[in-house]
Amino acid sequence: MELLTALAIGALFGIAVFQILRRNVIRSVIGLILLGNAINLLLLSTGAYQGLVPAYTDAIGQRSDALPQALVLTAIVISMASITLVLSMLYVLSARYRTSDLDEINELQG
Amino acid sequence: MDQHLALLPILLPLLGAAVAVLLRRRPALQGAWALVIMLSSLASSGWLLARVWSSGQPVVFQSGGWPAPFGISLVADLLSATMAVMSQTVLVAGILYALGSRDQVVGYPAFYPLFLTLSVGLTGAFLTGDLFNLYVFSELMMFSGAILTAISDDRLGVEAAFKYFYISLLASAFLLLAVGSLYVSYGTLNLADLAWRIEANPAAPLLPLAIALLTATFMVKSAVTPFHFWQPDFHTASPTAVSAMLSSVVVKLGVYGFLRMTTLLFVEQAPAVRGLLVALGLAGILYGGLSAAGTHNAKRLLAYSTLAQIGFILVAIGWGTPLALAAALIFTVNHSLIKAALLMLAGAVASRAPVKTAAFDVITGLGRQMPRAGVLFFLGGLALIGIPPTNGFISKMMLFRSGIEAGQFTTLAAVGLVSVLTLIYVIRAFQRIWWQPPLEEAKVKPVGDRLLAPALLIAAVLVLGLWPDPLIRLAQATAAWLGDPQAYVRAVLGG
Repeated sequence: MELLTALAIGALFGIAVFQILRRNVIRSVIGLILLGNAINLLLLSTGAYQGLVPAYTDAIGQRSDALPQALVLTAIVISMASITLVLSMLYVLSARYRTSDLDEINELQG
Repeated sequence: MDQHLALLPILLPLLGAAVAVLLRRRPALQGAWALVIMLSSLASSGWLLARVWSSGQPVVFQSGGWPAPFGISLVADLLSATMAVMSQTVLVAGILYALGSRDQVVGYPAFYPLFLTLSVGLTGAFLTGDLFNLYVFSELMMFSGAILTAISDDRLGVEAAFKYFYISLLASAFLLLAVGSLYVSYGTLNLADLAWRIEANPAAPLLPLAIALLTATFMVKSAVTPFHFWQPDFHTASPTAVSAMLSSVVVKLGVYGFLRMTTLLFVEQAPAVRGLLVALGLAGILYGGLSAAGTHNAKRLLAYSTLAQIGFILVAIGWGTPLALAAALIFTVNHSLIKAALLMLAGAVASRAPVKTAAFDVITGLGRQMPRAGVLFFLGGLALIGIPPTNGFISKMMLFRSGIEAGQFTTLAAVGLVSVLTLIYVIRAFQRIWWQPPLEEAKVKPVGDRLLAPALLIAAVLVLGLWPDPLIRLAQATAAWLGDPQAYVRAVLGG
C-alpha cells in the first residue's frame, strides 16, 4: 500500500509538472489541479502510520493521525475555490484574446 | 479577556466584511462602514502593540481553549503586532483613498468586502502562530488581491491577476509541501512547538527540503528577484487604492516570513538562508533600480522600485545582527508608508489624465496643474531616496550603521553604489510629471482622486523622520526579542 501511494504521488507530481509547463493555458490549469491532488495525497500519507486503520479505533499505535485529514479537507476546499477563480479568469481571457496560447496573452509589457 | 485582544484585529475586519456584503445596495453607507471598521481594527491592533510593548510579553490566544500544540494559537509578539499596526495603518489610508477615488471599481458592491478580507488575510498571517493557519490566511489575502485586480478599470487587470494568481497558487503548493514535510518530521505545525523540536533534532532528512520550500514561498510572496516577474504587471494594472496596498504592505508578508524563519524556526540553519538573502537582495536592488530607471509608466516605476526596496530589507535580514534586524524592521515600516503614498499620488495624477493611465507618454507635464500633488510627491520622493527630514533617511541610516557594525563593508559599498539608482528614477518621475511641459495641449480633467490619503501618509513620513525615536526603540526592542527564540517558545507553550 505504501509503495502504491508513493508511486501514485510521484506519478501525479510528474504529470502535473509536465502539464504546468505546457504553453496551452487549459492544459496548464489541469496540471495545477493534478498538483493540488498530489499534494493532498502527500499530506494524507504523512498521517497514516499504517494507512489502513481509521482514526477513531481504539487500537492505539495502529490508527491513522486525524490532523492531516483535517488539513487535506481544508486544502481541498481552498483549491476548489482557487481553481474556480483561475477558470473564471481564463474564461475572460480566452474571450478577449481569442487564444489559449500563453505566449499570445502578452499585452502587459513595458 | 486579555488574550482575546490578539483576536480583535482579525475578527473585526472579518465581521465587517460580512456586514459590508449585506450593505451592498447602499454604496455610501458601505464605504463609511468599511472605514469605521478599519479604523477600529487599527485601534485594536494599536492597543495590542501597546500592551505587548509595555508588558514585554506576547499576547497569546489559544483558540477554543485548546492548549498550545493542539489548538491553533494566535501569537502577537512585538514583531507580529508591529507588522499588524503597520499594515492596518496603510489599509486605513487605502480605504480613505478609495472613498475619494473616481475609479469605477470602487463603486462595485464587492470592492469594500474584498478590501476588508484582504486586511483579514494579511493581519491574520502576521498574527498566527501556526504554519497551516498561515497558509489559510495568505490564501485569503491572495484571493482578495487577485479579484480586486481582476475587476480593475484597467482592461489588462485580468491578465495581471491571472499571472499573479497562477504564480501564487504554485507558491501555495510549495507552502503545503513544506507543511507536509515538517509535519511528517516533527508531528506538529505550531511554530513554537516546531522551533524547539527542530532545535532538538536538526538531522531530520526532510528538513532541508522544508527550508528550501518555505524560502521559495516567501520569495514569491515578497517578489524577490528571480520570482518577481509577475509583480510589476500586477501592481501596475490593479486599481490605485489596491496597488498602493499590494506594493507596500502585502509584499511584506515574505519579509515577515524570512524574519520568522531566520530567528525562530531555523536558527541553526539560518546562515545558509541569510547568505542567499544577501545575494538576492543585492540582485534585487540592482535589477529593480535599473528596471525602474528604464520604464515608461509611473506606477510601473514604483512597482519596480518596490523590488529594489525589498532588496534593501533582505540584505539587512541577511546580515542578521540585532542592529541589522532593527534596521530591517524600520525599513519595512517606513517603506510601507512611503510607497503607498507615492503610488496613490501617481494614481491621482493618472485619474486626471485624459486617458486613465500612468504612462509617461500621457501624463508628462500634467503635474503643472496639480502643484499640491507635486509637493507631496517631492517629499515622498525624498523619503524614497533617503534624504532628511524624512523617515527614508532614518531607515537608510540605520541600514548603513548596522552594516558598518556588522563589518560587511563589501556588501555595504555595493548597496550604497546601487542605491544611487533610486535617486535617478525618482528624479526622472518627478521631472516627467511636474517639470516638463505637456507634450501637446493636454486636457486635464478638472477633478480627480482626492489627495487626503497620500497627504496623511506623507505627514506620517515627515513625523517619523523628525521624531524617529519611538520607532527606533520599538525596532530595537523587537530585535532583542527576536534574538531569544526560547522566550517565544516559552510564552506559547507555557512553562
